[in-house]
Amino acid sequence: MSSTEQGTSSAAPAEPTTAPESAAAPEVPESFYYVHGKDKVVHKVSAGALQHSALIHGMISNLGYTEEQAKANPFPFENIDGDILQMVVDWCNQHKGKPTPPEDTNLPKQKEKLFDLVLAVNYLEIKELLTYCCKQVAMMVKGKSPEEIREIWMIPTDAEDEAAEKEAKKRAGKEAAGETAAAAGDAK
Amino acid sequence: MPIALLKFPTDLLREVFQLCNPFELYKLSICSKRTQRCVMLGGRKNWKIRSNAVSSEVVHVDGFPRNFDKNEVLLYVDNLIYVFEKAAKPEDFFITQHFVGDRNFFRPDGRNLFRPEYVSIQCPDVDVELFGSLLVTFGIPIVDRLRIDFGSFESFSNIADILIGRNIEIKEFCVGETETRKVIDAVNYMSLINQMNITQKFECEQKFLRRHNYQLNKYPDTIIIKWSFWFNIGQLLNNNCVRLELEKSMLRNEELDGFLKEWKKAGTFPNLRWLQIDSMKIDKNYRILEIVPPIRNSGKTYIKIEFGWNNHMGILGPVRITKEEGTVGWLKVELGRSPNLKFLV
Repeated sequence: MSSTEQGTSSAAPAEPTTAPESAAAPEVPESFYYVHGKDKVVHKVSAGALQHSALIHGMISNLGYTEEQAKANPFPFENIDGDILQMVVDWCNQHKGKPTPPEDTNLPKQKEKLFDLVLAVNYLEIKELLTYCCKQVAMMVKGKSPEEIREIWMIPTDAEDEAAEKEAKKRAGKEAAGETAAAAGDAK
Repeated sequence: MPIALLKFPTDLLREVFQLCNPFELYKLSICSKRTQRCVMLGGRKNWKIRSNAVSSEVVHVDGFPRNFDKNEVLLYVDNLIYVFEKAAKPEDFFITQHFVGDRNFFRPDGRNLFRPEYVSIQCPDVDVELFGSLLVTFGIPIVDRLRIDFGSFESFSNIADILIGRNIEIKEFCVGETETRKVIDAVNYMSLINQMNITQKFECEQKFLRRHNYQLNKYPDTIIIKWSFWFNIGQLLNNNCVRLELEKSMLRNEELDGFLKEWKKAGTFPNLRWLQIDSMKIDKNYRILEIVPPIRNSGKTYIKIEFGWNNHMGILGPVRITKEEGTVGWLKVELGRSPNLKFLV
């Protein structure tokens, strides 16, 4: 993400929500950054917590922002729902500077959010949280029959897949025909 | 709360699949063609696979029960054994169970694994189709052992196509006898077997129709043929096996004499350690290495050779013969009700 993109964020930084910090205060004053999701709610997160995200860590490592600059330029993640980003920020704060245990009890529990959470975590490149989330996804079908797996993971039947494919082809054909007609109209 | 797994990008699917066990991946793969393709995206698995695709029934022959091997597919994954078994009734389909120590297994290295921990799943069918599907879905490059029968050429041909097309190494390949004990015209089967990459052992319990001269072109380390009338002197002279056992052979004294004279020459049959031929054609009317059969030593000398753990062959009272280069071989030829030749190097 470039600094221009940060500058174009239309959101006026709201009063940041400070996540609880679990680590003891370091000797060197810790730097903080600000992120927001689709809901524009800005979260203040320490650089230590953000280290979990390879994406954000890569972004901030060479910025050298002052506290004011960081506050004025929150990282916008418009593709991530606010509540999902909140979960991710909470997790990063809880695991700041700590090795992550094999079984993580701090993993967000809301199953209905799991799909979006996995996508967000994958996007933000938080490897350990991604492994935990994927484990939860995998556990959903443990010991289930193929029919149950089909329901849990919303797997279409072959017939449904074929119908969807036909429909997609039809739509693509129509769109292509529309574009050709438009191009012909332009030529006239 | 369901989630639309297939909407995940490929790298995420891979992450999830890596955390699933083989049973879950198998069940997922049979949900639809698309899920099978997705599971295949998970990449090649270096799992060891063994399959017994012959009947599990006990057949009575001449009043005696013949116990066929159990019909199952085994996957060896990270020190755990996954057993795919045929369900007795539909209500049991896909039921999995965890066991500790109620049966023994062969380890992929051929040794016996005493009463280990294993899990099983009850499948609608356990046949060559399931075996082939697991090979393809999981991209397994090596088959530890495949035991199959010649009951259906179509089934055999399908699995052979997968094995040949993907150049899958088959360490041990065993042709079991068909349930009905019928005699098979194996000419088409043999052409496929000759294209397979069988590396360690070829075992054949099936009786072939005596219409053709069936030809085995490749020689894995061990060959054991129960009805071996078709294995002629040409094949015997061409073999480069470590261990060769031919039952119900038609080889005669002249041919065995020719083979042993060839063996005595320097540099021939460098791998051979054990040869056993049971043939009704062996008699006392033709000398083998200038000796009139039976060929044996009246002493109590016992020479044996080990072929891995708990697996050895031996000869009591053999005659010593020496190769031109000095290698020593031990020969015994017996007549009687079941004439046979045993040769140990």
